[in-house]
Order: sequence, then C-alpha cells, then structure tokens
Amino acid sequence: MASQGGGGGGATVAQIPTSFGHELRACLRCRLVKTYDQFRENGCENCRFFQMEDDHERVVDCTTPNFTGLISVMDPTRSWSARWLRIGRFVPGCYTLSVSEALPQDLQNMCEEERVPYVPPKRV
Amino acid sequence: MPRRRDEYEEDDEQDEEEYDAVDEEDEEDYDDGGKTKRKRGRSDFIDDYAEEDDEEEEDDDDEDYGGGASARGGKRHRKAASEFFDEEAAVDSDEDEEEEEGEDDFIDTGADIPDEDDRRIHRRPLLPREGEQEDVEEIERRIQERYAKSLNVEYDEEATDVEQQALLPSVRDPKLWMVKCAIGREREVAVCLMQKSIDKGPEMQIRSVIALDHLKNYIYIEADKEAHVREEMTDVLSVESKAIDISRDTWVRMKIGIYKGDLAKVVDVDNVRQRATVKLIPRIDLQALANKLEEVPKKKAFTPPARFMNIDEARELHIRVERRRDQATGDYFEKIEGMMFKDGFLYKNVSLKSLSTQNVQPTFDELEKFRHPGETGDGEMSSLTTLFANRKKGHFMKGDRVIIIKGDLRNLKGWVEKVEEDTVHIKPNEKGLPKTLAISDKELCKYFEPGNHVKVVSGATEGATGMVVSVEGHVVNIVSDTTKELVLKGVPDRPDVGLVRLREIKYKIDKKIFAKDRYKNTLSVKDVVKILDGPCRGNAMTSRFSHLRTPPRVPQSPMRPPRGGPMNFGGRHGGGRGHDALVGAVVKIRLGHYKGCKGRVKDVKGAMVRVELESQMKPGSPPSRAYEAPTPGSGWTNTPSSNYEAGTPRDSSSAYANAPSPYLPSTPGGQPPMTPSSAYLPGTPGGQPMTPGSGGLDMMSPVVGADNEGPWLLPDILVSVRRSGEESAMGVIKEVLPSEIEIVAPRKAEKIKIMGGAHRGATGKLIGIDGTDGIVKVDDTLDVKILDMLSIGWLLPLTLFPIVIKAVHRMARGEVATTAFQDRHTRLKVCLSLANIFDNIRFRRSPGRSTQLLIVVMKNHCSIGTFQNFQLFIRFIAKLSALHKIHRHAQRLPNVYLNEHD
Repeated sequence: MASQGGGGGGATVAQIPTSFGHELRACLRCRLVKTYDQFRENGCENCRFFQMEDDHERVVDCTTPNFTGLISVMDPTRSWSARWLRIGRFVPGCYTLSVSEALPQDLQNMCEEERVPYVPPKRV
Repeated sequence: MPRRRDEYEEDDEQDEEEYDAVDEEDEEDYDDGGKTKRKRGRSDFIDDYAEEDDEEEEDDDDEDYGGGASARGGKRHRKAASEFFDEEAAVDSDEDEEEEEGEDDFIDTGADIPDEDDRRIHRRPLLPREGEQEDVEEIERRIQERYAKSLNVEYDEEATDVEQQALLPSVRDPKLWMVKCAIGREREVAVCLMQKSIDKGPEMQIRSVIALDHLKNYIYIEADKEAHVREEMTDVLSVESKAIDISRDTWVRMKIGIYKGDLAKVVDVDNVRQRATVKLIPRIDLQALANKLEEVPKKKAFTPPARFMNIDEARELHIRVERRRDQATGDYFEKIEGMMFKDGFLYKNVSLKSLSTQNVQPTFDELEKFRHPGETGDGEMSSLTTLFANRKKGHFMKGDRVIIIKGDLRNLKGWVEKVEEDTVHIKPNEKGLPKTLAISDKELCKYFEPGNHVKVVSGATEGATGMVVSVEGHVVNIVSDTTKELVLKGVPDRPDVGLVRLREIKYKIDKKIFAKDRYKNTLSVKDVVKILDGPCRGNAMTSRFSHLRTPPRVPQSPMRPPRGGPMNFGGRHGGGRGHDALVGAVVKIRLGHYKGCKGRVKDVKGAMVRVELESQMKPGSPPSRAYEAPTPGSGWTNTPSSNYEAGTPRDSSSAYANAPSPYLPSTPGGQPPMTPSSAYLPGTPGGQPMTPGSGGLDMMSPVVGADNEGPWLLPDILVSVRRSGEESAMGVIKEVLPSEIEIVAPRKAEKIKIMGGAHRGATGKLIGIDGTDGIVKVDDTLDVKILDMLSIGWLLPLTLFPIVIKAVHRMARGEVATTAFQDRHTRLKVCLSLANIFDNIRFRRSPGRSTQLLIVVMKNHCSIGTFQNFQLFIRFIAKLSALHKIHRHAQRLPNVYLNEHD
C-alpha cells in the first residue's frame, strides 16, 4: 500500500498549482488543489483510481472549484495541520481546508470498490 | 489502515493465526520505541471505543500487549465514563465501517495468500510507497530511521470526532506562526512556498502553509521554531521593518499615478497622518495646462515627460502662478493649479502607502537629474559630505574610509581593517564599540569628505590622484594633482556613466569663474574669502575656484539653469551670475563658420563661449570638437556676444505648437539674448543700453529698461512684453523683474494701479483721459488725481486674463482668427477685453455660431464688412497706423506686423 489514498501512482509530490485564480479545482476525495489543466493531464496524485487523465467529465465530477482555504503541505507526516485535516497520508502538495460538495454517489461507490476511505464534507 | 486492521482482527477473533501474526508484528513495532508504543496504546483504545457498539464483550485483549497492562486499565476506566461518546463516535464514523469492510476484504485476501511477507507488507503501518520487494529488515530499518529522526509520532488517519479531539496539538507538535503577507496574495504565497520546498528539498523546516480565505493579509506557517519560519519568510518579514524606514531625505519611488516609478526624495514625513511630502521632477504639460484655461481639455492619454518646472515658461503661457510661503518651513513655493513648486521641483503630499521604499536604487542618471540648481548650489556643504554608492565587490581595501549604509549601524563611519570575501572588517569611528566589526560588503560604501586626497580606482581616469573638492550624491569632484583639472568621478561600479560625465564636464578651472559661497553670495576674482572646510580651513585667501554647476544632460530642460538661476537667487547678481547661468543654455550660432548650428554652452570664459554643437555631439566625441565661439570685445553687456541666439526650451521639446521659435535678440547694441521676464540677464539690469527709438525694429516700443528703479512695474499690471522681434506677448506682472515690457495703457473706466509717485501701489479707477494725463479716482481715499498715463497700469482681472491673452496670440499669429469659447458669456467678456486692448477694433460674432467665431472688424470700417482673413486685417492695421501716427500707447499691435507690412 503506497499511501492511504491507495490509488498507487509513483508521484512523491503532487503537482503545484500554476495559478492562483479561478482555474483552481480541488479533488473531492483528497482535497488536493490543482488547476483544471493539471487534473486533466495528470489526474490526482492521491486518487489515481479516478483516472481523471484526459477525461473531462471525470475531472469535472471528481473536482470542484468551490473550496475554502488553502494549505500547502510540505511534510504531511510531520505536520500537525495535515494530521488534523486528515491529509497526513497524502503526498505533499497544496490542499484545501474544505470542499463544499460531496463526491457523487457513483464515485463514492468507486472509492468503496477501491477500498479507499471517503469522508464527505461536514455540513454546518 | 494497517493498524486499524489489527484491531479489527482482534475484535473478530475469528482467525487465530491472523491474530497471532498481528500480535507478533505489534510487538516488533513497539520495541522500536517507547513513544510509539504509548501512542499506539492510546489510539488503540480509542478505536475500541468506536467498536463498543458492536456489543462485543471480549476484553481479554490484555494478552495482545505484553507491556500495555496499565494502559488497559486506563482504558477501561475511560470506557465506562464515556458511553455516549462512543455512540456519537459510532454514528459519525461511517468511514470506519467502510474501512472495516475494506479491511475485512483485505484480510480475506491476506488469508488466501499464505506468504507471510506479503501479508506483512499489507499490514505495514506508516510506510508509504515502498516497493513490495523490500524485505522486513529493510522495513524495520526504515522505521527505526524514521523514529530516530523525529520525536514526532505518526498519526492515524481515521476520523471520528473523538479521534479528532485526540489529535489536538500537543507541545511537541509544530506550531502555527502567523505571518503577514500582501493582501490578496495569501494563496500565492502558500503555493510559492510549496514550490520552494520542492525545489529546496528536505532542508526546509516548514511543514505546511495555510491560507485562509477569510483571513486577509496573513498566512499561517507551521514549523517547530520561529527561526524556521523566519528563514523562509525573510522577504515577507522584512517588509514590515522597512516600511517604517521613510524619513527625510530618503529616496523613494512612487507607486501610483503618472509619477509611478519615478524617483522622489522625501522632504517631510507626517507619521500621524501617514503622509509624506516628496520632491519630484514634475511631469506637467504646461501647454495642456494653459489650454485648459481656455478650451475644453483634450483627452490626455500620455504621460508628460519629467522635466523641471519652469515658472517663467508657465507665466509665458499665461498660467496663473502664485507665490506662497509655506507656514511650516518658511520657504517660498510657486503654486500652479494647486501644485507646489520650488526650484523646479514639484512638492507633492502623498500617502506613505503610495511610496515604495524597498530596493530604491537611484540610477546615476536619475541622481543627475535631481542635481538642480537649487540643490547643487556650491554653498550647500551640508548635503555634500556623504557619498552613498552601491559598490562593486572587491573595491574595499585596507585603510578605506567607509560608512555603513544599512542595518542598525547605519551611518557609522570607520576604516577598513581587513577584507574577506563578502565581509569587511571595519574599525568603527565611534567609541564604545568593539575594536572591529564584521560587516557585509553590501552594507558598506566608501565615504569621502571634501579635502580627502583620493585616487581613482576605475573608469577613464583610473589612476589619477587628487583632492576631493565636493561630494554630491554619487559624484565626487576631484581636482587632479597633476593636471589641475576638475574630474568628476561617478559611481564607481558604473564607469561608463563616469566616462560620459567626464567627457562633458571636463573643463579647466578658470580663475575667472564666478561662484557662490555657502551663503549663496556671489564670489568673484580677488574677493577675499575664508576657507571654511577642507585642509586649508581657516586661511584667508584672495581667490577661490568652485566648480560650475554641471549643465543638464537632459534635453527636456535645456534652459533650466539660466532660467531657474536668477529666479531663485533674485536675479540681480552681477556678471558672474550671468556667466554661470549661461552654461547649459541652448544657443544658436549666428555668424561664422558654424552659423546656424545649435548647441549648448559648455563654458564661459570671459568673452569666450565654448559651445558643444548638437550635430556633433556623439557619444565619445572629444570635447575638442566643441566649437569655441569667439566673441569680440571684452565685456559681456557691451559686446556683441549676440553671435548666438538663445533657443527656448520649447524649441527642443517641440511639444508646444504655439510656442515661439527661438528668438533673435531684438534689441540693438548686441544685447545678449533675453527672455521677457528676464530669465537671464547677464548684465546688470540697470545697465541695459536700451533706449527708445534706438531699436531699429521696435520703433513703437516705450522706454523700458533705462529706469529700472523707476516708478512703474508693479505686480498685477497688464503689460505687453517686447521680445525677440517676432511678436509681443501680453502679461500680467507677478514679480517685478527687469525686462523689456511696456505697460498697456488702461482704458477709461478700467481698474488701474498707480505705479509711480506718492500714490504708488494704490488702486483706483480711471475716470477720464486727458492727453497724456489720466484722471484717476483712488479706491481707498476716493480722491481724484491727475496722473501721467505712464504711471498708470491697467489692473486686469486675472481670471479673464489668460483667455484674453490666448485669443490675442492666436489672432496675432494669423493662424486662425477664430477662437472657441466655452460659452457666450466668456466670449462676450473676451470681446470686451480685446476691444479695450486693441484700440481700433471690435469683434462681431458670425451669425449662427454664438460660441465659435470671432471676426475681427475695424471700428471705422465695419460698415463695409468683415475681413476675409487675418492677413487682410493686418495689412489694414499697418496702413492705418502709418497714416495716423497713432499714439504709442494706443498702438498695441505686435510690431512685427507693422514691420512686415509697412
């Protein structure tokens, strides 16, 4: 098991967003933040099984532009913030503090099949 | 995960073999470190809580943990106390169930695979991304490494609220440091720091960076020590410390507006109101300003070039200039349209936030531009004693005098003791400090004082030795030991600039040069002076040299020194001022081989003027190319130095379409060129050999200069300015300066000002004219006086004046005899004014265009019709004036027309 994400993939560090504006999207499962293009080209480093690469629909389904806050995690294993946010097992990269949507049901099922945990965002 | 799975397995208790394996594995792990063990224990029993609702009563997992008995006890106790927590936890931990299923699957899979190693890999905790081939020893080793490296334990991923509570930070966790950052850049900073950590690798001690959407202006940085944060955030942090660094005489740059990027010097700081007064080179389009007074302002899309404000020029364009005294400083400012000017600089009050203080490194050129007459006057020693220059590496040598320009020790002076690669050990000049201080060479700068004996270490004059005469900003003036030439030394690490300067400014020290002393008194040859500074301090001497103000290299302000000079210093100094002021003036050579060539006066020596010709001024051209224009005669005022004509500044900027072109000296006797408001009068004003009638061209012009101290010329009087032969200009006297102007005689019923006699300065109304006498009713006393018309000036309402003048100019130029006005009312007023100025004419609007057209009509002939064009009108007036011998005061048309059409 390479990481908690379980999706495999050899990346040790996630791609870093190349812009800071509205192009940013966050993965609905692991909350990784990248630009749309980055997701489209390389998928999500933590959730390989979503296979977002070159799949516009999938990228749109699995990611959202609606998220709050940004955290760059350099050292997830030793960061309290990452632990607290439960992203301590993911690869280093930029994450969001919270996403405002839940993963669509079929993709949740996919997580289940892949035996990776999925935590839906808490409703306030 | 792995650990969780262990728990589940224990709970299930279905697979004994599995269970044993778990036990073994756990014990192995725990042996690695006591801390880990404790942690494990904690999370284990928390997990157990979560499982409580399964109603599994087996509690004999004591045997799982050899050394965990005490922990178990604690667990039981807490379990009893937190029944409802457990329920909550169960409700909230959906993912636990998911995981359970997942893990169960795993376990099944695992059970199918007999290979122990594979199993272990599956259940291996906390080791992401390791090749499956790695054997157990390798894994153990890694675990050991990791735990040895960090006291921080790894954290479980499972999310229940209870667990979340358990994750609350402990003292051992890294802390969050709040760091200020640019507003709106929070995310950018976070992302950039992430990138930096990737680039830099593991040496970066920051764990994470958090940018909260609702918290502007700040980010959080997670790190163990503040130093770690500081290390990475020096740039960000330094902003704060530098922001306070605005003080008097600081160089700053403007951040916004048309001056964006421009260099400015702080004159005053108001920390309470967070504002500062800065001194800038103005970017003002005088023509646009003048136009605004009359017409609808045109759309302006361009930023005017930076050039010094020339008050005279503004006056010429009939822009209203006020002279105000600043109450705080007592200095006088020229005020135009609410903007304050002094010595050509704009003084602007701005918010501190609009100033950039970081990395303000004025270029040599910029500093040169700031060397304006007012600032670089020879007497101003106080500002000349230090030199701050950005130095190239390796320029410090033992024994150099240096000054610290950055940090806490700023302005500390000392001597270089030892030079290392980037560090310079200096011996401070102050008592009570360590014997030597190690300072970064970037924080140091050489320091010169007038009188120092120095050697030039780079540039064209490398090797030359000499004495420092003065220090101005980044330029040291040195008198060479060998050649006795004045050498200008630029910023050492920019020798190219130094070279250019050298070429331009290399002139011999002429003992005849006049200068000003520190109190701005004019000095000339054989004056007895006392040396106040330098090695010969205290000695009395009978002559003294001083370096001349360097001519500006900026083409936009060619006339700056001559015009600005006399204005600033009263303009009444003797010939010395004239010589000085002429340097830098743009002139045109009128006679000889170089006839027609334009150039700039480089040097004035007696009657000789050295002119650098524009056409030949190529970079690198030797100064010998400059044309030495010989001027016959010996003196200034009585020699035909009018070999050259002075160009106007507008001539070179060419932005002003209406501006008069370079003018020829119109006055007889070979007067030096002069500007209407006496921008420079090399000779003494009273000594102008100008008499009425002697001007071949200007036969109508009245007596002007001869009686300078005479009764007339008071502020606010409408005058006609005789100049240069092309046209006359109207003006209102703001200040009395010797010049060629004539008073425009007032009309009946106009407001006047008495300029001579006992009532000089009084205002009144002209109630009648009797020959050359005017009947005046004085405002204050209501007395009726009979005065010579010559001593009565027309008091023109200033608001209307620019419009009137503009209209006159336009018509007089013959371009178009029409002028657009904003409304009928203005047009009417202008018409009335013009009708008063121009004796014999009247204006009539063209039908249907009430605000557009003015047609010039002669009073006596208007019944015939209008003039087709202005030329006809001119011709007519010319004839008329010849016929009627109009009284000279009544003749107020530009003399040029008379000459042309006579």
